[in-house]
Amino acid sequence: MGLIPDFKKIATRSPWLYRINAGSCNGCDVEMATTALIPRYDVERLGCQYCGSPKHADIVLISGPLTVRVKDAVLRMFDEIPEPKVTVAVGVCPISGGIFRESYAVLAPIDQYIPIDVNVPGCPPRPQAIIAGVAKAIEIWRERL
Amino acid sequence: MSNQIAILLAVLLFPGGVFALALGLALKGVDRRVAARLQSRVGPPLMQPFFDIIKLGFKRTMVPAAANETVFLYTPLVGVVSMLIAAALVPITSVYAPDAAIGNLLVLLYLLMIPGIVLMIAGSASGSPYGAIGFSREMALMIAYEGPLVLIAAAVAIRTGMGMGGWATFSLNDIIAYQQTHGAFLFDPVMWPAVAAFCFFYPANLGIVPFDIPEAETEVLEGPIIEYSGPTLALFKVMSAVKKVVVLGLGIALFFPLAPESLVGGLLVWLIKMAVLMLIGITVVRLSTGRMRIDQAFVFFLKWPLLLAVASLAVVVVV
Ligand code: SF4
Repeated sequence: MGLIPDFKKIATRSPWLYRINAGSCNGCDVEMATTALIPRYDVERLGCQYCGSPKHADIVLISGPLTVRVKDAVLRMFDEIPEPKVTVAVGVCPISGGIFRESYAVLAPIDQYIPIDVNVPGCPPRPQAIIAGVAKAIEIWRERL
Repeated sequence: MSNQIAILLAVLLFPGGVFALALGLALKGVDRRVAARLQSRVGPPLMQPFFDIIKLGFKRTMVPAAANETVFLYTPLVGVVSMLIAAALVPITSVYAPDAAIGNLLVLLYLLMIPGIVLMIAGSASGSPYGAIGFSREMALMIAYEGPLVLIAAAVAIRTGMGMGGWATFSLNDIIAYQQTHGAFLFDPVMWPAVAAFCFFYPANLGIVPFDIPEAETEVLEGPIIEYSGPTLALFKVMSAVKKVVVLGLGIALFFPLAPESLVGGLLVWLIKMAVLMLIGITVVRLSTGRMRIDQAFVFFLKWPLLLAVASLAVVVVV
């Protein structure tokens, strides 16, 4: 009876992260790598794990303003991630285009193409902010499971 | 009949099945925790691998369009079943002795090859180019490490067999009984090359960092298991967890099976040995080395472990 909700609660303690670089300047990616790798921030505490294949992912971190050239690849990749998934947009680029805002090569805001659940603004955002965003995403994920 | 029921229970409950799975996942949890501590991080909770498996149960399994669906979905099952059976073959001194019908070193060697083959088939059935690269790397690595393993097993079997007045014995129970009366092979200088070769073998067999080439996540995105998601991916995690128990248990049985006579003591000592073997051979090695290239690993295995294994066989036969 109460077993399935219990299991769902347990399941949310194991969010696997996947990073998509949608044309970012790499600043946000460095920040995400920092979040993962530097002992001080350690996302593994939350049970997170960066995974190599989109098919293993639960929480997607998207950085960058979605350039015209990567759009198809990003959308295809996004479809490869099995449900239930949660999307976190990292940096100000996916929100508005950031410093690339008026470029002809950029399709931001990204939520015209991909449903975004959590925005983490900043250029680049601090690791603490990214972790807070991931924690928020875990809450949303719990409802979707 | 009671014989068959005992084997079935051994495969499903103890020491295969539930026990091996729980132990494998717990070892993985300890491994991740200790690794985090060594890097001065906090690390995940000890139960993390259990959470991961439960989580994967809630996800959707996707079958890629290019994949052969039947093969894609059922190969991981073969791997899990083979490992559960293998776990029932591993003796635990003074706690569990495998039935004479199955407790044979050669059977165990064959079963140990299956996960590698399963990974190869899974990688090629998924239709992904990364899976295909994983396939070829897994195959190369298997060719490299299977040879030393067979020679190590032969060295142990011949040493035991000659000690017992015959030629070679592959019965795991005999190997343990012999070491109980004559002292562990770990302290037998004649066996040291074999011990050293085994120390090289087991990180490769378990896919730990210097040798995790087929599944290198930064180059081939987890290789053979790239296309798996949800419950089928959980099967792979289960397979590798149980495999860890089997391989470490094999190492304990071959070289250092001594334990107190009592049931609880025997189990406790076995668990401690397993944890030590894992922390030294897996956690520390994993953290302190970088990944080799496949050609480097291949040459490495054909050089050192093979040489050591051949040497150990020669020494055992001559002495
Ligand atoms: S938000 Fe700033 S740091 Fe991040 S990708 Fe955009 S420009 Fe680079």
